[in-house]
Amino acid sequence: MMRHLLIAIAALLVAGSARAQQADTTDRPFVRGGVYDKPFQHRLAGRAVFGGYAEVHWRHERADGLLVDGGFEAKRFNLFANARVSDFVRFAAELEFEEGGREVSLEFAAMDLRLHPALSLRGGIILSPLGRFNLAHDSPLTEFTDRPLVSTEIIGVALSEPAIGAFGRVRTGGASRLTWELYATNGFSDGVVTASEAGTRIPAGRGNFKDNNGSPALVGRVAWSPRLGTEFGLSAHRGQWNTHASEGVAFDARRSLTIAVLDVEAEWRGVLLQGEAATAAIAVPDGLHGIYATRQAGGYVEVVREFARGLVRTMPQSSFAAKARFDAIDLNRHVRGDAVVRFTAGLTFRPTRDSAIKFDLVRGRDRDQFNNPTERAAVLVSLTTYF
Amino acid sequence: MRLPLRHLAPALAILAGTMAACAELATEPPADGEVFDAPFAELSAGELRVFLTGDAEFSRRFAPATGLGPIFNNASCFSCHSADGRGRVENSLVRLGTPDNDFLPHLGGPQIQDRAIAGAIAEMVPDGVPLSRRLPPPVFGVGLIEAIPDASILANADPDDANGDGISGRPNWVSVRDYVPGGVPGAARTALGRFGRKAQTATLLEQVVEAYHQDMGITSVFRPAENVNVRAPFSDDQAIDPEIPVATVQAVVHYVRALAPPAPGADTPTRRTGAALFASVGCAACHTPAFTTGPSSIAALAGRRVEAYSDFLLHDMGDALADQRPDGQASGREWRTPPLWGLRLMRRFLDGDAFLMHDGRARTVEAAILLHGGEGERARAAFAALDPASRRTLLDFVESR
Repeated sequence: MMRHLLIAIAALLVAGSARAQQADTTDRPFVRGGVYDKPFQHRLAGRAVFGGYAEVHWRHERADGLLVDGGFEAKRFNLFANARVSDFVRFAAELEFEEGGREVSLEFAAMDLRLHPALSLRGGIILSPLGRFNLAHDSPLTEFTDRPLVSTEIIGVALSEPAIGAFGRVRTGGASRLTWELYATNGFSDGVVTASEAGTRIPAGRGNFKDNNGSPALVGRVAWSPRLGTEFGLSAHRGQWNTHASEGVAFDARRSLTIAVLDVEAEWRGVLLQGEAATAAIAVPDGLHGIYATRQAGGYVEVVREFARGLVRTMPQSSFAAKARFDAIDLNRHVRGDAVVRFTAGLTFRPTRDSAIKFDLVRGRDRDQFNNPTERAAVLVSLTTYF
Repeated sequence: MRLPLRHLAPALAILAGTMAACAELATEPPADGEVFDAPFAELSAGELRVFLTGDAEFSRRFAPATGLGPIFNNASCFSCHSADGRGRVENSLVRLGTPDNDFLPHLGGPQIQDRAIAGAIAEMVPDGVPLSRRLPPPVFGVGLIEAIPDASILANADPDDANGDGISGRPNWVSVRDYVPGGVPGAARTALGRFGRKAQTATLLEQVVEAYHQDMGITSVFRPAENVNVRAPFSDDQAIDPEIPVATVQAVVHYVRALAPPAPGADTPTRRTGAALFASVGCAACHTPAFTTGPSSIAALAGRRVEAYSDFLLHDMGDALADQRPDGQASGREWRTPPLWGLRLMRRFLDGDAFLMHDGRARTVEAAILLHGGEGERARAAFAALDPASRRTLLDFVESR
């Protein structure tokens, strides 16, 4: 008898609890807008998605016969979040963990307001449209383990900045189209000259999340694509990099940084060709002329040929790709040295389109400011996949 | 798994490319004795470890955020001394001074710092005062020079030309700075100068500390106050002083001390003839072929033969080379005999160029010889009087050092 009574009470409590919880979550949240009252749990459910990619390297690098770098690197672990907030508003973010989490950065976090295919507004932390590679450089997407030198040493990929601007696309007949992007940003910081012990280094001025000079920089890109897989882009950045005043007192001149980039992507008879060329002009204080570069330039061209698709019978979507890339950068146009050239060749195996195992052989030559050469070589292996 | 024929070509191309690349992937280290930046082979493991630390610091290029400036000449040791050898004329330093030994500190002396970080003002070369341009010298072999006993160097001194050969090598007795260990605080000390174009520095510690301070604007506990433009003394860099620790200075001192000179070229019959000509025309009167070191803080440097081809003494080199800027006991016409080691590889590390004499004005060894005046005049004339073949033989010997 007693046992039946206890069971009945328990059943009533459970039923009451369920009704009470339902009322609690549908009528009023515990805290309005609090942790359990977010739009992605209700209105955006199913429209907010997550993903990412991971990348691990093994490296063996030699310079003039000596091992200078070797071992394993947990290179990147990136998380994507993407939400279709409404028919007009989208939001995307990318959180990057580099070197096993020792460096964490919010690489992208921006809201798009689509007004018309030819005009959308974007605000947030954006990837600056400075060359195509800066906009699309996910490791599973690229065929080489290392990024191009011009991208890492001159443009500063991944170059993300707080910005507000607009973008859009315009049909130009048939399958062709023109895309454009234009943003106002903080631009680069004093780090361009003051931070790097290697001289003028534009990437050292990235991450200017708090403006240092009250003078916005402009960055934009125009790209024409006659068909899918072929695109020609032209992009530029111009802005002041230095702090020139404090509390209304100007103690230095305004100094500008201009970067122009030409990028190409084309496919011909199964061979994918990509390349980028960049030139930079940096206004350096007079007292630093001669040892801090005022002109830098560089570029790369790579060719990739996919073959043996489905050759591995247990992986019908698998493919191999033969690849080669030539890199050249000149970090100070006014001296004979301070330059690097690299040639990379290798093989990529993709179990599916979203994953890759890359094998790269690298040979190159660095020249110091006296033009003394250092012969460099490397064997690189990397594994990467989207998830 | 089988490989269809259409896949064979790219696969074979990759295989061939990989095999060809593998041969290239090791890269070749330079042969022993063919570089300026190698340590003595006999260093202990501990000495090598500090050598590597010093090597990294010697190459370290400073930025304004890490202490460069406020006024300076260059951003790293390596930026002036190409591959640890001599520098280019573009890297020359300008020293100020008057014939009566005034280094003109109110005009920016003793050395003009011609560069400045943002917010600071670089020094300008003043008009109407004697200037002395100094080419950055090689830094290898200085540990051996340091270890040559005073007595060995002084044995060649002949300040009054008592032997009447026209050569009157003089030692430069210079003041030693208080921060050099071994002295009594506050008491003046002098020592035999060995380093610098006028043998104006006695110790490697001073050479390194002053190069950091004067050339790069880097403070240390030995020189804790920034070097500023006296006409704009308010400027400062962004780093807290001292900008490098004692350990860094000591590692760089150890590094340069342990840098071995490159090996001379092959000993051929022609070069033996050239060596004999070198002695017979009188070059060896100042370019003393060899010394033997005494004790050294690095055991491997003790009791070692030093073929520097220098007597490390001061010589009057005539009007054309005079800078009219005394330094210590060196007059405005005197220069320390420069070692000849490393001439064999000089062009390799100067992008094919050659810069000789104190200011780099001579672009060939022959031109350098023909610029000798004063005490070197007799040897210069004897060289000029040689027949062309003998001159070539002598030059081949000198350029093989």
